[in-house]
Amino acid sequence: MNAQEKTMDVTLRVWRQKGPDQPGRFVSYAAKGVTPEMSFFEALDTINEGLVAKGEDAIAFDHDCREGICGTCCLTIEGQPHGPDQAATGCQLHMRAYKDGDAITIEPFRARAFPVIKDLVVDRSALDRVMASGGFVSVNTGSAGEANAILVPKDKAEAAMDAAACIGCGACVAACPNASAMLFVSAKVSQFALLPQGGPERDRRVLAMQRQMDLEGFGNCSNEGECEAVCPKEVKLANIARLNREYIRAMFWSHEVHPKVDLEGQEE
Amino acid sequence: MRWLCDFLNSSIGKKISVGLAGLFLCGFVVPHLLGNLLLFVGMAQFNAYAHFLQANPLTPAAELGLLALFLLHGTVALWARWQNWRARPVGYDTVASKGGRTIGSRTMTYTAFLVLAFLILHVAMFKYGWGSAFHDEELFQRVMDFFRNPWIAGGYALALIGLGLHLSHGFESAFQTLGVNHPKYTPFIKVLGVLFAVAVAGAFAAIPIWACFLGGAK
Ligand code: HEM
Ligand code: FES
Repeated sequence: MNAQEKTMDVTLRVWRQKGPDQPGRFVSYAAKGVTPEMSFFEALDTINEGLVAKGEDAIAFDHDCREGICGTCCLTIEGQPHGPDQAATGCQLHMRAYKDGDAITIEPFRARAFPVIKDLVVDRSALDRVMASGGFVSVNTGSAGEANAILVPKDKAEAAMDAAACIGCGACVAACPNASAMLFVSAKVSQFALLPQGGPERDRRVLAMQRQMDLEGFGNCSNEGECEAVCPKEVKLANIARLNREYIRAMFWSHEVHPKVDLEGQEE
Repeated sequence: MRWLCDFLNSSIGKKISVGLAGLFLCGFVVPHLLGNLLLFVGMAQFNAYAHFLQANPLTPAAELGLLALFLLHGTVALWARWQNWRARPVGYDTVASKGGRTIGSRTMTYTAFLVLAFLILHVAMFKYGWGSAFHDEELFQRVMDFFRNPWIAGGYALALIGLGLHLSHGFESAFQTLGVNHPKYTPFIKVLGVLFAVAVAGAFAAIPIWACFLGGAK
């Protein structure tokens, strides 16, 4: 038998929950004849086809691009958000990571700020509200300016790009022992703070985003580093230090008073 | 002054308060340790140092400042931990670290309570002579009397190893919290944090171990 023909039988232990305020429980499903080159999500698809054929409710799980760029998928696989691979999303995981007879536990991302909608799908709009509170630059629209009108040093541009690689999947929150969103917020604050275009709203932005992050009920960072380890885009802890510096600067050196924001991200 | 309340209420502000107070506490630990190491030098030298501190008019002010630092550090840290605990009401069935956490960072809350319990007993015993048969003895004698008891000596050594664990994460963590993360300095700070933790725990714990088990109290 060559590698292509090898198949395996695995058991998926999946969190099933009918709705937001319903009780949930684990249900085990047998996935038979899985091939190593199948993606993890294809194994779930196979189970879902079986469930639908039997007239049962398919397992709800979030996914869109299935190639690691959209940040929609949000599974905790065997206790690891996005599963065992480094620098990869759950949709990029393949069954070759497992062997015949494995039992694999799949849970939703867990955080108070990410309530479960159904089964493995959670509501991550808290991250959107953090962005709406300050994760933008206010510019006049119109024809695009001359690209080299504002010069950006290459190292700054690259650091900003590295921060902007964040796809907002929320795995940092899911992996953090404190359910803190600091890695996400730090990436979003950094991508602007590093560039001249982000300068004018710098102080206001960090205070507003920090405030919104706290209002959403995320925990406090204690520098554990689990977020950096699971981040599919390898966003670094150095961004969190930058967020702290931006915050100190805005709090103690700027004239900005703490902007008041409500849960919709609007200024009062 | 609303901004100051906002600062203390914010997640980052809380962390900065805990980290700064923690670093000041690290700054206290060093001279305290150096002073205590005079126990190894001799009875006369150690007692002279104790008299100097007791007679110094600045000592009560320093003690008050230290108490304020402990209260700030401990209460804000535990407040943050309480919020963290509430931030994940439904936990995971399976948790597998991908790397990042260390024994020091995992045990922060436990070592905090261990150090807190230790500090209360420590001040009661050595400063106020609680549990001591004599109330007017010289400090050297009091230390040795306490440490002759292997339970007290063992408990002290254990609590100080707990402090070492606390610092093994706390020291470097405080720098990150204050925004110091730099390719040139961070590797150095990490190594320094571990060395500091080992040195503090080792040197402090050496005192009861020496006094009780190696015949120092004879
Ligand atoms: C000599 C005694 C102590 C020293 C030198 C010390 C030092 C530190 C330092 C440097 C940190 C890191 C702060 C940061 O990450 O920014 C820390 C964290 C912490 N300390 Fe202490 N500490 C001491 C005693 C205590 C006590 C008595 C308590 C509790 C009553 C406590 C509770 C905590 C907690 C819970 C944290 C973690 C905070 C977090 O990251 O959320 N510590 N400590
Ligand atoms: S589905 Fe788009 S990143 Fe996973």
